[in-house]
Amino acid sequence: MTTAITIDGLRKVYGPTVALDGASHRFEAGQVHALVGKNGSGKSTMVKILNGAVQPTNGSVDLFGEPVSFTSPADAMAAGVVTVYQELSLVPYMSVLENVLLGRMPSRKMLGIERIDWAEARRRVEALLDEIGLDLNIDRPVSRYSVGQQQMIEIAKAYSLHPRLLLLDEPTSALAAKEVEMLFALIRRLKERGVTIIYISHRLAELFEIADTAVVLRDGELVGSLDMKTATNQALIDLMFGDEAHAAIDRETTNGLGAPVLEVRGLTREGAFEDIDFTLHSGEVLGIAGMLGAGRTELMRAIFGADPLDRGEIILDGQPIDRPNPHLMTKLGLGYTPENRKEEGLIQFHPIRANLCMAALDRIARGHWIHRRREAPHVDRQVDDLSIKIGHAEHAVSSLSGGNQQKVVIGNWLNIEPKVMFYDEPSRGVDVNAKRQIFQIIRNKAQHGVAALFVSTELEELLDVCDRILVMRDGRLIGELDPLTATIQDLYGASMGTA
Amino acid sequence: MFIGTLFRRYPLEIILVILFVGLCFAAPGFFTVNNQLNVLRNITMQGIIAFGMTMVIVSGEIDLSVGSGVAFAGCLTAWITEFLGNLIGLPAAIAIACIIAIVVLFCLGYTTGKIRQVFNVPTFITTLAMLTVLFGAANLITGGFPITSFPYWYNFLGSGTVAGIPFPVFIFAAVFGLVYFLMNYTKFGRSLYAVGGNLEAARLSGINVWRVKCLALGLTGVFTAISGILISSLILSGSASAARGWELDIISAVIIGGTSLFGGKGRIWGTLIGVLFLGIIVNGMTLLNVSEYWQYVVRGGLILGAVLLNQLIERLHED
Repeated sequence: MTTAITIDGLRKVYGPTVALDGASHRFEAGQVHALVGKNGSGKSTMVKILNGAVQPTNGSVDLFGEPVSFTSPADAMAAGVVTVYQELSLVPYMSVLENVLLGRMPSRKMLGIERIDWAEARRRVEALLDEIGLDLNIDRPVSRYSVGQQQMIEIAKAYSLHPRLLLLDEPTSALAAKEVEMLFALIRRLKERGVTIIYISHRLAELFEIADTAVVLRDGELVGSLDMKTATNQALIDLMFGDEAHAAIDRETTNGLGAPVLEVRGLTREGAFEDIDFTLHSGEVLGIAGMLGAGRTELMRAIFGADPLDRGEIILDGQPIDRPNPHLMTKLGLGYTPENRKEEGLIQFHPIRANLCMAALDRIARGHWIHRRREAPHVDRQVDDLSIKIGHAEHAVSSLSGGNQQKVVIGNWLNIEPKVMFYDEPSRGVDVNAKRQIFQIIRNKAQHGVAALFVSTELEELLDVCDRILVMRDGRLIGELDPLTATIQDLYGASMGTA
Repeated sequence: MFIGTLFRRYPLEIILVILFVGLCFAAPGFFTVNNQLNVLRNITMQGIIAFGMTMVIVSGEIDLSVGSGVAFAGCLTAWITEFLGNLIGLPAAIAIACIIAIVVLFCLGYTTGKIRQVFNVPTFITTLAMLTVLFGAANLITGGFPITSFPYWYNFLGSGTVAGIPFPVFIFAAVFGLVYFLMNYTKFGRSLYAVGGNLEAARLSGINVWRVKCLALGLTGVFTAISGILISSLILSGSASAARGWELDIISAVIIGGTSLFGGKGRIWGTLIGVLFLGIIVNGMTLLNVSEYWQYVVRGGLILGAVLLNQLIERLHED
């Protein structure tokens, strides 16, 4: 068997952070290699080095026996290394044909003018799709295809570049089970045609189905590789986490569960989540664990009424909600801090004051009338309570650091004196110190009876903050864990589908 | 440094004062009571609508139909007056006609917002269509000839004076006060800025975003109708050719006043300055015998210049 890539002593340092610490490995040609490890283990750094997006601090890469040092992704592409990212890069209103050949349309001269050779383009794309067994209408705009099919068009586009090495970054995170099957069939066909594939995924279960080997990274080190034919779940998990123990932070002991404030029964949104049942009690912080694309954000948004629902019951504070919408839910005392605070949580160029008084307008105003004097106490209270570091409340909220912006988003909601808070990725893009403070706020508010639903991709955080943890996978709730007894391994195992 | 800060904070106001003082010396007959009242009367009709337009633009929408709206409202008022005048007497007929015109234009504006909400058609398109439709409708009502159904005393609304000041100026002031109050001291006003600043963030904060936009468009319809009634009174007839092209003057005034076409940013005070600016410049140039063609060039330059100035000052603020 030939070797596709050899990496030797690959090391990448960003300032004081060591992202990758001397990784060495040989990847066999014509196989599917899974690259696994939890967030921050160095997977994406490794991918970026392989596809030329960043250059290693030390170490070497050999591609089919030739030493290479790519200075850009275009460089890598020319050498036959092509990457398909999780975010699709298709132009939605262009046809499949135009997308596959984007920027590389064949042309010929007619009457001295260079023009697109549509017949040749059509012939090429049809041959390509035929070769990899995709049955698509090449004249249809890609926006008319499902996310799964778009993912495959993206891969077809990558394949048209004649790759020797294909890097797939979380290709299944947004796909439904049936689409995953179709994607795997496509990957197998590419493998038969001799393409070496490096496959990154959070879903451990599917690795057993598609990968030949798994290369495991932990804290920037390449800790080993497993042959997937003989590997077990436990072996994989052990390699990923080592004997790392989790030290929980001190926190007040909960004095039993309060009264139910939010009950959800049989909640379903086709294609996002199915048959969700849970009860949230007053004063409780309930975490939802799961990997990217498990449906956690979709669930919270649907309960809050930001997205439509297909079926199910929501009972908030004893009151059945027929059709939730953000206006109604806000009135009933439900707050939601969205995962993208820049795009959905704040009005960047508006003053801090206005951003803190947005959700609670109805409470702050007397009838229809409102005045800065009435807003001031609400602004001051949140700035003090949440220790938001501001120059002046009239400065634009964009002038604040990520952590302080997040606190403004939370403060905006605390002004409605919520009964229930949904926190979606509250620690994203926030420094360690602010993260601690935000978790402390969530706990303090819970202590005062504000029930919370908490979602974070950093599953460790759930162990720190939550009283109970529900595990969600592929749009379904599949179990519950007690953060006092569960380990990180349990949490990741359950979320990734090996437990 | 004091002057620098002052200029940074009130750039347009200062330029307006300089312009005003300059015209006092340069343009014969500019600084007379008559001429000043004339300027005021000229700006009121468009100014009333500009205040509504400011709300619409701050909410992140636009209304291109106001010019035809004015003509349509005037013709509708004249037509209903003609129709009802013999049945219930002119005063009652005119009162009813005005109310109907106001209600109809409110509903049209509100519907524009609803179309945006339900069918996701940009207001740019809906109101562009409405611009044409209302012009046609005004002509259908009048049959191509002005309807002269009004009695002479009706002329008071548009060209009468109270204590020496033209009557429309009082309405202009009242509308300014109302919109100033709405935008600065009400929940509706706060919501306008939020909705225009970031629609999704506003929606996820529980603000009823479509009601806010629909109301802003509806209110602009009301102001358009009022302006239309005043015009019909001024010319003592309902004419389909009134107010052609006003929409661009009005939007220009709002933009000169510093309101951002992207929404979420703007002040009603700025629009007042913008309206005065255009009014004074046009009047001054006319008095100076500047050719009408040059006037267009200058007004165009003014719009671009004001926006560039605002951008420049904003950049200075950041440094």
